[in-house]
Amino acid sequence: MSRILADTIAFGKQYMRSGVAMFFAFAFPILLILIFGAIFSSQGEVALPLPVQDLDEGPYSTVFLNILANISVVDIEVIPSDVDISEYISDESLLVALQIPADFSSQVGAILADASAGPVNLTLYGDQTTSTYGTMSQVVQAAIDGMNYGLLGESPIVGFEAQSISLEDNMTFMDFFLPGVVGLVVMTNTLYTITSICAEYKSRGYFKLLATTNIKKHEWLLSKFIFYTVLLFASLLLTFAIGQAVFDMTSSLTPLAFAFIAAGGFLFLAMGMLLGTLVKDPESASAIANAVGFPMMFLSGIFFNLDGMPSYMQAISKVFPLTYFNDGLRATMIYDNTEVALVNLAIVVVLGLVFFVLGSKLLSWKER
Amino acid sequence: MSAEPVIEVVELSKQYKDIRAVDGISLSIPSNQIFSMLGANGAGKTTTVEILEGLRSPTSGSARVFGVDVAKDYRPIRSRVGILPQNFEPFDMLKPTEAIEYWAGLFDKKVTRKDVSDLLETVNLSHRKDVVSKKLSGGEKRKLGIALSLINEPELLFLDEPTTGLDPRARRDLWALIEGIKKKGSTVFLTTHYLDEAEKLSDDVAIMHKGRIITRGSPEDLVRKHGKLTVIVLAGAGEVGLKEVTRRGIDATLESDGDLLVPVRDPTEMRQIFQKLSGIELKVKDMYTRKQTLEDVFLSVVGQKMDEGVLGK
Ligand SMILES: Nc1ncnc2c1ncn2[C@@H]1O[C@H](COP(=O)(O)OP(=O)(O)OP(=O)(O)O)[C@@H](O)[C@H]1O
Ligand SMILES: [Mg+2]
Repeated sequence: MSRILADTIAFGKQYMRSGVAMFFAFAFPILLILIFGAIFSSQGEVALPLPVQDLDEGPYSTVFLNILANISVVDIEVIPSDVDISEYISDESLLVALQIPADFSSQVGAILADASAGPVNLTLYGDQTTSTYGTMSQVVQAAIDGMNYGLLGESPIVGFEAQSISLEDNMTFMDFFLPGVVGLVVMTNTLYTITSICAEYKSRGYFKLLATTNIKKHEWLLSKFIFYTVLLFASLLLTFAIGQAVFDMTSSLTPLAFAFIAAGGFLFLAMGMLLGTLVKDPESASAIANAVGFPMMFLSGIFFNLDGMPSYMQAISKVFPLTYFNDGLRATMIYDNTEVALVNLAIVVVLGLVFFVLGSKLLSWKER
Repeated sequence: MSAEPVIEVVELSKQYKDIRAVDGISLSIPSNQIFSMLGANGAGKTTTVEILEGLRSPTSGSARVFGVDVAKDYRPIRSRVGILPQNFEPFDMLKPTEAIEYWAGLFDKKVTRKDVSDLLETVNLSHRKDVVSKKLSGGEKRKLGIALSLINEPELLFLDEPTTGLDPRARRDLWALIEGIKKKGSTVFLTTHYLDEAEKLSDDVAIMHKGRIITRGSPEDLVRKHGKLTVIVLAGAGEVGLKEVTRRGIDATLESDGDLLVPVRDPTEMRQIFQKLSGIELKVKDMYTRKQTLEDVFLSVVGQKMDEGVLGK
């Protein structure tokens, strides 16, 4: 025990004195949260602009525009009635534009009197192959339907209501993103660091030095585990506090979240040690850590929900330990689903133990 | 001092893929000596030392330290042995005091403040105790390495090229330190490719070449055995001098710089040779006697000179 303690203290001192390492534990997650938070948080409120030229400006065109304006996803922009719409579209590089004909109100009046005279058409300009055009034509169609029902005095039978994708009404993007950032931080700080430490210890002869003392390989790794657990707890607290302060978050810091940090730290340290058996020098260390860490970063659902991905991608993601870490951490922090969290935690712990046993067996401190 | 040797090596070999780094060496080293293994780069010194440290396994033969077979289990003797590896590098971001405390911890050893400062005093590093190690000079780093190796007050200390790459002053510093360690009763196993270092420090020298020990003995013994003990130098005598001298039946060799060397194998011959020489008309710049050194021995047994570990003509 005293050996582990001595190694933890010495490692901690060296670590704290190297600025790069501190960056990855603290500055990195905060930067990620602030940058991505700023990018994604506003997206929910963005409405698509719909430029409209109202050549009629009569009673019925006003009614129509009111209906359109009530559809929350569009933002009506007025095109002056005295310009040529085709020129205007190309001058302003518009993707779509809606034109209400000059005789709109009088035509509607005529059709109401004699139904066989209709219908009167609105014109939607734009490239029909684009998704924006598709969306807009749906929106316009919806407004037209609404107007038709109103004019005919009938009430619609089936309606629909827009609802943003979240289980809880007020869950924000940040709630989803923060556990991902935590996963990323746990992985980079342990997996990458321990792989490069293995390379450094090999090339500078530290492993050989350690082999001449009483400390054993598993004790050495356990001391890293103790240190990183404390460090990552601190990192989690800080990251969460900043997330709370800057963004409107509803997720919570559960005891299970801390269990995940510890288990995840253990898993990725053990994995790093296993990768460390393959490295010879610092260059190969970062290559190998990246080869494993990079795909894992993108395919484990750190930045986006994997449910929307093709099924083969979801299958691949099941290979990566980080997936279980992310799923479990989200289960406890966002959805408060202890059962799912515990299953994932168990997977993380078991994988960690497997890597730990393999790593301490295969990593050689001596020369053969 | 027990009569039992500290190190006992019998027919030890180490084969790497296509290199026989150590080729059947046998050694027995008694306690409280400074033993030097002298050899050029690639002679097999580090391989031998690391086998004796339990860090590499031998291909064949046996090696015992304090009677323990090093290929089997090193644990029983771990704390009786101190190790300074070749090219030792301290942990960059630790201060010498912290490094010593750390090392003590790895050996389950409790050390007090005073123990630490005494150890730093021993290696003459007290004034640098609070500087992070990466800012230490090359010599200071080695001293820290020796301090770490001394943490258990070892009975046997392995120093693998402790002074390579250091300036002359730092080397002399370390020599004094090593002599001090021996005075306290330890046995020192030193490797070096500095002939003067081996000559100055060693009680016992083995010259290693291509994995074999080609000669062994105290520096004086080796000079007596392979060298000519003393030579009379006729500086600048040249070809003419050589002819004149050999005509009178005196043995001599001509150096490339024109100096003529007349060996004196037996001190009693000295007078006689001087008498003969004084009878010859010789143009010389200077005439003096010189004792031979390990350098001459090395040249004579290996057939090549050695400079910074590199063999030359
Ligand atoms: N791990 C290894 N694998 C393969 N060959 C090796 C290994 N270690 C050493 N050698 C080779 O064995 C020979 C002896 O090497 P060793 O390091 O023992 O020499 P040395 O006397 O310590 O040299 P130096 O003065 O350069 O330190 C060299 O030819 C070296 O290239
Ligand atoms: Mg060597």
